[in-house]
Amino acid sequence: MTRRFGGLVAVADLSMAVTPGRIHGLIGPNGAGKSTVFNLISGVLPCSAGEIFFRGKRISGLRPSEICRRGVARTFQATTLFREYTVLQNLLVAAHLRAADGLWPSLVASPAYRRKEREALARARELLAFLGLGGMAQAGRPAEKLPHRDQKALGIAMVLATGSELVLLDEPLAGLTAQERAEMLRALRRLCDRGLTILLVEHDMKAVMGLCDVVTVLDHGVRIAEGTPREIQENPAVIEAYLGAEGARA
Amino acid sequence: MSNPGLRRALAGYGLLAIASLGLPLVTRDSYYIDVATTILMNLVLTMSLRLEMSTGQLNMAHISFMGIGAYASTLLVMRGGYSFWVSLWLAGLAAAAFALPIGGLALRVSGPYYFLISFAFSEVVRLVFNNFFVGWFGGPSGLVQIPKPDPLHLGGLRLTFVGKVELYYLMSVLLLLAAAVLVRLDYSRFGLLANAIRQSDLLAETVGVWVFRYKLVAFVLGSFMAGLAGAFFAHSHQVLHSSDFGLEPMVLLVIFTVIGGTGNVWGPVVGTVTLTIVSEFMREFHYYEILLYGAVLILTMLLLPEGLISLPGRLGRHRRRERPEEPEAMGAGVAP
Amino acid sequence: MPIELLVQALLNGFALALVYVLVALGLTLIFSILEIINFAHGEFYMLGGYATYFAMAVFGLPYLPTLLLAIVAVGLAGMVAERLIFRHLRGKTLNAFIVSLGLLWVLQSAAQLSFGVLDKSVPRAFSGILRAGGIIISVERFVVILAAIGLIAVLYAFLRWSRVGQAMRAVAQDADGAALQGVNIEVISMLGFAIGCALAGAAGGLLAPVFAVSPAMGALPVVKAFIIIIVGGMGSLPGAVLGGLLLGTVEGIGALFFGSAAVNVLGFLMVIAVLLVRPRGLFGV
Repeated sequence: MTRRFGGLVAVADLSMAVTPGRIHGLIGPNGAGKSTVFNLISGVLPCSAGEIFFRGKRISGLRPSEICRRGVARTFQATTLFREYTVLQNLLVAAHLRAADGLWPSLVASPAYRRKEREALARARELLAFLGLGGMAQAGRPAEKLPHRDQKALGIAMVLATGSELVLLDEPLAGLTAQERAEMLRALRRLCDRGLTILLVEHDMKAVMGLCDVVTVLDHGVRIAEGTPREIQENPAVIEAYLGAEGARA
Repeated sequence: MSNPGLRRALAGYGLLAIASLGLPLVTRDSYYIDVATTILMNLVLTMSLRLEMSTGQLNMAHISFMGIGAYASTLLVMRGGYSFWVSLWLAGLAAAAFALPIGGLALRVSGPYYFLISFAFSEVVRLVFNNFFVGWFGGPSGLVQIPKPDPLHLGGLRLTFVGKVELYYLMSVLLLLAAAVLVRLDYSRFGLLANAIRQSDLLAETVGVWVFRYKLVAFVLGSFMAGLAGAFFAHSHQVLHSSDFGLEPMVLLVIFTVIGGTGNVWGPVVGTVTLTIVSEFMREFHYYEILLYGAVLILTMLLLPEGLISLPGRLGRHRRRERPEEPEAMGAGVAP
Repeated sequence: MPIELLVQALLNGFALALVYVLVALGLTLIFSILEIINFAHGEFYMLGGYATYFAMAVFGLPYLPTLLLAIVAVGLAGMVAERLIFRHLRGKTLNAFIVSLGLLWVLQSAAQLSFGVLDKSVPRAFSGILRAGGIIISVERFVVILAAIGLIAVLYAFLRWSRVGQAMRAVAQDADGAALQGVNIEVISMLGFAIGCALAGAAGGLLAPVFAVSPAMGALPVVKAFIIIIVGGMGSLPGAVLGGLLLGTVEGIGALFFGSAAVNVLGFLMVIAVLLVRPRGLFGV
């Protein structure tokens, strides 16, 4: 995939493949284009060139909601939540794909609609517990009042609520304390064991190397390496890219 | 019924029904009935505008769809010989029919461009009513002598709609029908998603909500209701002029809706009722009224952006400590 | 159709088009810096007109100082509006738009209450006509054209070469980035808004002697300005100039063939067409 902004090429001819059931890391110095890749995959930005396939079917060029429907969901780097809504309401929205869609079901409230609403509610509650969001006591709190760690957890819970198989996590560890990071890593591993495929962007190198099965390294929009954590750590091009960035800053 | 949301919906609706149907029992004074009829008509307009605003769009052409309904019904009755009872619904459908392509196009553009394109549409519509097809729309002089609704035969009854009280009841019924739909939607998944879209349409889209479709549905449904109100306006007012559908009445609708609050379906009720009453007191002071409304709008957006309806909530929060309570789930019939 | 007739038609509208460009430049400048669509912008145009009226008709000042006075006065009014109102809404486009509707009503009704509804005429500043070939133009309009071009040039120079102007362009492009580089966003917003309003005030002052002043005089120019900035691209100053010239041409020629009622609709249809085909306009950000 390629993405150009005016004359600037943010992502150039990137080819990568994500294997199901694995945790795939996407790393690179700042400005390498990682968030852009997420925007391309989730359909928020169109590709200037190239295509994206999910489970054999093309998803590039589709609406983001359609891509989510196909099974790909994402979080945002700056935690984006429905700020006026409570925790529970946030999850209920995210559980949308399991609920009845459209004007008529809402208007008429058929038994099928009601059943789906109950299912969505049940799923929401399940997720509250799973991500340690404090269960029902917390459910009624407005999302904007949550501490940072819980907001991040809610963001991930929402992605899970969509029922997607491929989950793109944008810096899930940012702003967390060391202990919170450890908890999050454990939770992510558990999710993967349950069959979820995770693609994540992270700056915390130790975490990435410890968690991921495969890592792709990006620099200035170009893939410079891909492989297991060990291979990446020993790759001279990678070291150069990071040191280069450091050197430029010094 | 343990769902607090549903209880609130029924209570609010019940209050609305009692107030609107019960008014003529309290007074038959033609002045009050007149004002009340205007309030009810404005309620249909502001509640439907609020439906559109709940998805985050400010449609500056809302009044134009009222106009399309008004002229459509008038022409169907005066030229086509239709009965009002048919033209009323056809007028709503006409408004919806225009809303579909217009909304379909306008909603493709984002925020600021959307206000401007909807404003552009509203001016085009107004100019067309004022300057073109003069044989149909009456040009700058408008249309006059529009007939009142023809008598309705229900079962053995023959209902006429000549007097003010009779027209008032007609408007009440229309309002209660519209409000039933709007209240139902607001407390259902549709409402949950609409307000989510308003808060962040990007996030809604990425969790699987087809945002464009929800916005379009709100736009078309809101315009349908505006068309109905327009038809009523034409046949009760009996005179139509393009200036009835211009920027000033549109801004007035925005003021009613926003000052009341766009967060839920009851906000516009509070805003419309309060401000129409204030407006009656200021009848003679037209320019002072405009000045006051403008100032109140500015103050509201700066100090109380969620509108008057959020006032009780805010005061309540100051007085008691925040207690986590059993949250209300949106969606009727969901057992906790 | 003789070429002279065409040129004459275009020239007649040229002064008007340039004045609308000034209004549009002010509007787009405000949008680029504060991300706010100010629907009340036409009222600042009106204030400029009334300032001119008072200075010339009531106090008998000559034209040039009057124009400068109008520019400064309206600029100050803009500064006040920004400090009191718009500063709190920077970036919140929907709320700011709604507030600007309120401000429109406040200013217009205040004008109607203070000055009365009737038109007031401003003494003519210049008389006589100029002739070139078969084409004539009044001195008055010629002065308007020169002044408008002059103001546009001053604005361009200011934005290109002055420190404040460059800071404004930086904020318009990337407010966060500019802030990181030490630009004082608050001050720049205030100045940007003030200059935007001052441009509208200048426009009002330029046309005041040509047409009369009235409280509702801002309604048409602001609508034209919106058309211009949508066609030219919101936030783009060269877009505003080109959009204005394009609108002036279309309207000038349109009036010749279709009559003036249709011409108004033409402008809006242009807007709708642009927004659908290329929402960013000719030069949009």
